[in-house]
Amino acid sequence: MMFLQSIKDFTNYDFLVYALLGTFFLSLTCGLISPLIISRRSAFMGSAISHSTLLGLAIALSFFSIEKSFLVFSITLFITLCCTLFLSYSTYRQKLPTDSLIGIFYTSTMALGILVHSISSHNKSDLLSFLFGNILLLSKEDLYLSTLIMIITFPVIIIPIKKWLFLTYDEEGAITSGINAKLYHYLFFVLLCFLIVTSIKLAGTILVETLLLVPGFFALKFSKNVKQTFVFSICFSCFFAILGIVVANAYGLPSGATLAVLLFTALVLSLLIRKVFYLLKK
Amino acid sequence: MTNQSKTILRAEDLSFSYNDESPTLKNISFSLNAGESLGVLGPNGGGKTTLMKIVAGLLRLKSGNLFINDINILDYKKYPYELFSYVPQNSDLNTTLPVKVYEYMQFTTSLFPEKMKNRSIDEILEIVGIHHKRNSLISKLSGGEKQRVLLARALINKPILMLLDEPTKGLDSNGQDQLLNLIENIKRIDQTSVMIVDHNINQIIRNCQKILCLNGSLHWHDHRDLLTKNILEDVYHCEFEHLLIHENDLFHETSINSQSDHHFCGHDHSTSPGSHHFVRGKK
Repeated sequence: MMFLQSIKDFTNYDFLVYALLGTFFLSLTCGLISPLIISRRSAFMGSAISHSTLLGLAIALSFFSIEKSFLVFSITLFITLCCTLFLSYSTYRQKLPTDSLIGIFYTSTMALGILVHSISSHNKSDLLSFLFGNILLLSKEDLYLSTLIMIITFPVIIIPIKKWLFLTYDEEGAITSGINAKLYHYLFFVLLCFLIVTSIKLAGTILVETLLLVPGFFALKFSKNVKQTFVFSICFSCFFAILGIVVANAYGLPSGATLAVLLFTALVLSLLIRKVFYLLKK
Repeated sequence: MTNQSKTILRAEDLSFSYNDESPTLKNISFSLNAGESLGVLGPNGGGKTTLMKIVAGLLRLKSGNLFINDINILDYKKYPYELFSYVPQNSDLNTTLPVKVYEYMQFTTSLFPEKMKNRSIDEILEIVGIHHKRNSLISKLSGGEKQRVLLARALINKPILMLLDEPTKGLDSNGQDQLLNLIENIKRIDQTSVMIVDHNINQIIRNCQKILCLNGSLHWHDHRDLLTKNILEDVYHCEFEHLLIHENDLFHETSINSQSDHHFCGHDHSTSPGSHHFVRGKK
């Protein structure tokens, strides 16, 4: 009953419509980029970018209130972009494993963010909302931003999809065929940075990774070819992200955590079902 | 000058070092004419792969000159990747993605649409004998089949020079013979030149007109007929016993299968000079 009422709410309240549409657009974009993040082995890099948003947010919130969402977004994006470019530069075709550098970097930026937030006490904005996501924070501007990031990401990924796939599958082969690997390396992380900064209100700094990783992981486990991988990932992402928003609203739960748990449960259940089918077939 | 005798690749005093360490390559010079094969021999760590990567455009030249079609590489606005095809020693294919043979070929054909006007992916797969696997996942293929797929990919841009870094690595003797014969066929059909690194000395001498023996700063380059046992021993820092590199029958197809009756030990030649045996079977 509560669940049906929650669905009705989405037709009655504007902010919920923004949340629903924003979630749909972001989940579409995350679903598209997710298989690439996993197959390019950039999951940890994504985590570093999402955690470094905290520094940007802390600085932005020390100057502006949370209501000035576009200004907060712009400052957060700028600072996160600087961090992302530094990380991209440091991790391009390095001989040494890059995970240690990424680990050091993201814990440091996150710590710096918390320090900045605690020092700038004149602003009482709740940074916790950004850590775990809150759909009540989504505004009309956020809807525009999520639409914009989708409009940018789709052509950048889809038009040269064979180049992305070639670079992901056989990097040396792609480079010696004339693809500018460095350009695509930076482009990928800049896109990821835009997407993460846009998603933090919905899923939160900490949980945005779930939205970026689970759909791709599901798709790569179940698909039989490249096309199927992207279709499965987008469908899985959209369906469970919208379900997550509806459930979070129905039971008054934090959206990011609800999304994360729902996506993870769906993934585990699907893997279990597949295992059962496999055993029965045997 | 006929097309066959045109120099397509010429290196003058190439030197390279990784991160200011001692030079991996020092003052290396060689040349390769159109339609010829250049076999690169040398011990592990001798700089063969580094040299291939420099020519393929994966590593930037530190000093010396590299001429492609008599034009200095520095005079090209953009590295002429389209003139080469590179098949690396350990092709690090990312098996996370479920990529099929035909899909993998499409990644490359999308980059060279003009080169594919008169030829289809299926034809190329037919040439390398892997057409029956066109819809198979590459991750499910055997080592030999994967090498054929990589060779097929290398044919798409109709290169003037194919750079093959140990293409027979990990294959059994039969697979090695088949692959080297295939490379010879490709060379003939596509009229391309080949620069090949391999540890099978006899196969290299049999298939390549020119030889480059390489061990860091030490190198020898000339026609295969001028290669002697002493040169190989100097480059490998070890002695070969019973090495018969200039017996006529070595170059005949009907000779004893060199793969099965010639053995080269797996010691690290660069560090421990010693006596090694090329054992030749009885006729």
